[in-house]
Amino acid sequence: MLIRTPKDWELSESSATAEAVYRLRNRREFLKTLGAGLAGVALAPHGLLAATAGFPSKENPLFPASALKPTAYEFITSYNNFYEFGTGKDDPAKYANRGWKTEPWTVELAGLIRAPATFDVNALVAKIGGLEQRVYRHRCVEAWSMVVPWDGFPLAKLVALADPKPEAKFLKFTSFLDPKNAVGQQDSYLGWPYVEGLRLDEAVNELAFIATGIYGKPLPNQNGAPLRLVTPWKYGFKGIKSIVKIEFTDRAPLNTWQRLAPNEYGFYANVNPQVDHPRWSQASERVIGGGIFAGRQTTLMFNGYEKQVAGLYKGLDLTQNY
Amino acid sequence: MNSPLEKILRAKPLVYTLIILPGLWPLWPLFVAPNPSVLADPLKYVLHHLGFVACLLLVIVLTLTPLRVIFPQSRPVLALNRHRRLVGVSAFVYAALHFSTHLLYEGGFRVLASDVKKPFLLTGLIAFTILLLLAATSFNRMVQILGAKRWKNLHRLAYVAAALVAYHQAAARKLFPVQVLWIFIPLALLELARIAITVQQKRHAATSARMG
Repeated sequence: MLIRTPKDWELSESSATAEAVYRLRNRREFLKTLGAGLAGVALAPHGLLAATAGFPSKENPLFPASALKPTAYEFITSYNNFYEFGTGKDDPAKYANRGWKTEPWTVELAGLIRAPATFDVNALVAKIGGLEQRVYRHRCVEAWSMVVPWDGFPLAKLVALADPKPEAKFLKFTSFLDPKNAVGQQDSYLGWPYVEGLRLDEAVNELAFIATGIYGKPLPNQNGAPLRLVTPWKYGFKGIKSIVKIEFTDRAPLNTWQRLAPNEYGFYANVNPQVDHPRWSQASERVIGGGIFAGRQTTLMFNGYEKQVAGLYKGLDLTQNY
Repeated sequence: MNSPLEKILRAKPLVYTLIILPGLWPLWPLFVAPNPSVLADPLKYVLHHLGFVACLLLVIVLTLTPLRVIFPQSRPVLALNRHRRLVGVSAFVYAALHFSTHLLYEGGFRVLASDVKKPFLLTGLIAFTILLLLAATSFNRMVQILGAKRWKNLHRLAYVAAALVAYHQAAARKLFPVQVLWIFIPLALLELARIAITVQQKRHAATSARMG
């Protein structure tokens, strides 16, 4: 007899139904609530679409949608941490669609590399050879999680393009700076622009991904258009949005959250159910879109990507290097 | 003699309405005008909302006494002071709902063991225990049983609860939430003014006693 043990990341049937009902019932209110800005992203052929709309993406069979239960598009695009546009979860969907332009957009590759260059995003995607879809778990340091079908390309391809010199050991990512259009940047509390970093060997790991879209659509502004980092084995804040510069360095960059609160956020930010945040537990997580009675699910080591990344951290004390 | 304003402020139904309505507020983004950002994690929204209302009611009830000391002649202030117990007990009720939601959100009592190790959660837990104690001793008979002085000293724990709640609220977000200042600085100023007045009155009374 076959007894099927549900995996930790599987959602209950009841929550899936709730989601479908939610979509049908609330489509109209959803558009109303988010206002003309996001409606424009969903419906308009031009204008608000992010730069990388012209590239159809193909599912990568290694990271298929069938293995996980993707979170509804409405939730992925309305429940965001993007402090450049305010600290409320619903702020980015509102304020990132009021005149902030993500097209045209250029990305600079700089630092200890043999091929420094500045690319238009579209030219970059074309040069890389198009997009693929990967469905990844996404775990926020605030102990909630989603499943996101990303479109994009492996970061390793970008690193190959940059052609790092032997002394390059780290990547420093910098996000945009535009206080005129990004209301959150008008307050200086975070120290803009947002900065993140990876070790070079982390960056060329098969999971590290640059996303340009979700659900086959170009990234909405609130999700970090036109391109952002996705490192599914790390907490969400490592996934720097709207990148303008990637610099290769020989020392670890000081990422924004580590600079703000080094006792709470480190350089690595690997998902680790055994190492608590000083103010809350990281042992379990709430699944976005699960509804009121969905309960919590157990958080997996490296967010369930232990097989792919555990080797990167052999011999490293993860309670010290959080 | 009663002014219309005073009449309104004395009315119990109005106070009940003002206390209950904020508790119903989450029904709006959840059902009436569904907001996907709220529906993404509805329980978290309810949890934070109930805690916020509990905190506001605690702060409001603590402003009533200082207002009476600062404006002893103001009839509206005196009218509002009639509702102190009601507001105080409702702060406890919201705190209890907030705590229950926390248990539901975290999936049961198991979480309490890890809660006591984290200052963010422990402060909330202690503040809630204090409010529980004060609500349980809020009946007139308890004043007789405990004696007025002891009862009053016990109920001064509400200030400890407020300080704990200020920390609890500040620690709830990744960044320091500025609203904590908006809520607690006015209360702190009122308390300082009240203490200053009380000290002055005592000194005055002592001087008069000597003169007499």
